[in-house]
Amino acid sequence: MIKKLKNTIEGSLIKWGFLEKKDDIIPYAFLAPALIILGGILFFPLVYSFVLSFFNWNMTQSGGAEFVFLDNFIKLFGNGAFWHSVRLQVLFVAISVFLELLIGLGVAMLLNHNFAGEHVVRALLLLPVFILPVVSGLTFRFMYDPQYGAINWLIGLFGFNPVPFLSKSTFAFVAIIIQDVWRMWPFMFMILYASLSSLPESPYEAAAISGATKWQVFRHVTLPMLKPSIVIAVILRIVNALKAFSEIYVMTNGGPGDATSIMSIFIYKNAFDFYEMGYSAAASYVLVAIALAFSIYLVKTQFEF
Amino acid sequence: MLNKDVSKWKLNKKAIFYISVLILLLIELFPIILVFLTSFKSQIDIFNANPFSAFMPTLDNYKEVLIDRTFLNNLKHSMIIALVTTTISVVFGVMASYSFARFNFKGDQKIGLAILASRMIPPITLSVPLFLLMRKVALLDTYFGLILAHVSFIMPYVIWMTLPFFQGIPKAYEEAALIDGCSRFGAFYKIFVPLVAPGLVVSATFSFLFSWNDFLYALILAGSELKTAPIVVSGFIGQFGPKWGSMTAAGSLILIPIFIFALILQKYIISGLAVGGID
Repeated sequence: MIKKLKNTIEGSLIKWGFLEKKDDIIPYAFLAPALIILGGILFFPLVYSFVLSFFNWNMTQSGGAEFVFLDNFIKLFGNGAFWHSVRLQVLFVAISVFLELLIGLGVAMLLNHNFAGEHVVRALLLLPVFILPVVSGLTFRFMYDPQYGAINWLIGLFGFNPVPFLSKSTFAFVAIIIQDVWRMWPFMFMILYASLSSLPESPYEAAAISGATKWQVFRHVTLPMLKPSIVIAVILRIVNALKAFSEIYVMTNGGPGDATSIMSIFIYKNAFDFYEMGYSAAASYVLVAIALAFSIYLVKTQFEF
Repeated sequence: MLNKDVSKWKLNKKAIFYISVLILLLIELFPIILVFLTSFKSQIDIFNANPFSAFMPTLDNYKEVLIDRTFLNNLKHSMIIALVTTTISVVFGVMASYSFARFNFKGDQKIGLAILASRMIPPITLSVPLFLLMRKVALLDTYFGLILAHVSFIMPYVIWMTLPFFQGIPKAYEEAALIDGCSRFGAFYKIFVPLVAPGLVVSATFSFLFSWNDFLYALILAGSELKTAPIVVSGFIGQFGPKWGSMTAAGSLILIPIFIFALILQKYIISGLAVGGID
């Protein structure tokens, strides 16, 4: 049955010039289900939203979408709130990922030798990576509370006044970074640790013979050999940090004011609070452009077809 | 004398190492410990700032969360969505990945790049068109709609993660099967799939986790009638003052399966993370 069907389809595809010879259809047959599904729920919506970014469409008003070409983008680039969200987004990603790299690398160096219980320690350190971002965000909101939050209790132990983390602009921004660093440095650690433990011995032996100090060994032997993994880990984290939404949504919802309103929050509010669909589609494509700039590099270095 | 000093110093160094590891673990695990602790506290004890002060453990929070079947139902929704999403993503994702790993065909590079690059697109970007399109075809607040939304980012993940792994599997076994008269799909299904089974388990686990953890799509594409567990957990901190007890109890319940996965599959998870990252 299937064989017959295959032959029929194949025959006509060859006749129309899509395929050259028999069995050329096989790779497409394996690919087809995924491609059809992703076409419908991924590629088509993305194109739809790209087209939408040239339309003015407020869903709360009757009248539907109106073609305005680049107006949404012009409005966007003239909007201080948008640039504010871009700046916050860049700062959020840069500071978080940098701190995660520092801590991750430091801990990887610290734990990079055999010791009793290393498996348990590693497994436990990795747990925060798997915690639901929402639960993490809510838990930090709980801990940041000025009256009964654990972090403020700790600050109080050192004799300081409670810090109103989530109600003061600067503190709130620091607060969302702390949450991200807490949850994600173990990810950095894991990749660097795996890479550290597979480094070859001989460069270290050479360094020991030439009498290098510990810092010199780290700076001139370990770091260069680790560089490819660092690059991959950093890019994976950057792309991931650009996706941040739910933890910030439940912690501050972009506030106070718009102090933590990174791009995803800005887009969410425009789309689902104000129902400016075309406008938010335009904003979301700016975010895509930023994410793709990093990903093309990653994809090209990591995969061969 | 000198010898004794050296060994003493070594011992001290070891002690310092273990103490610093312990401190590190304590800091890093503190929020998780706090969630579990708080879930057993009464309202009064929760509002005592010192998280380590003695308290009478109580199951009230769990009772409150579980007493009506609402939250159990939400867990069920999450479970069904995650399981179906995982099945669709792994079955078709693996077939696609196999196609990329084994064949050279017209357009393979372009299609492959498009699928892999899509992993980088922030979900908020896709949520706007998905919301509009699903509203049009009445898929908002349905299992099917949310499953499709999850598949849209999880299937590319499966392809992304399995591709380098598949490329490393020697072709010889399948070729032998083909020569013996096995069909191409038969060779894939009977020879290749059992060969890569461990990798499939890992990618299935991650797929389940990503679907289980999703908040954004569950918020935008569902949430009024079909509520998944993460939505409900965040709802405890809603309009009527934060119910930290319920939040932590429900939070603990949805964290448990994740931690079990993470601990059991620890060995594989590291390689999975290193290739595919996390959503």
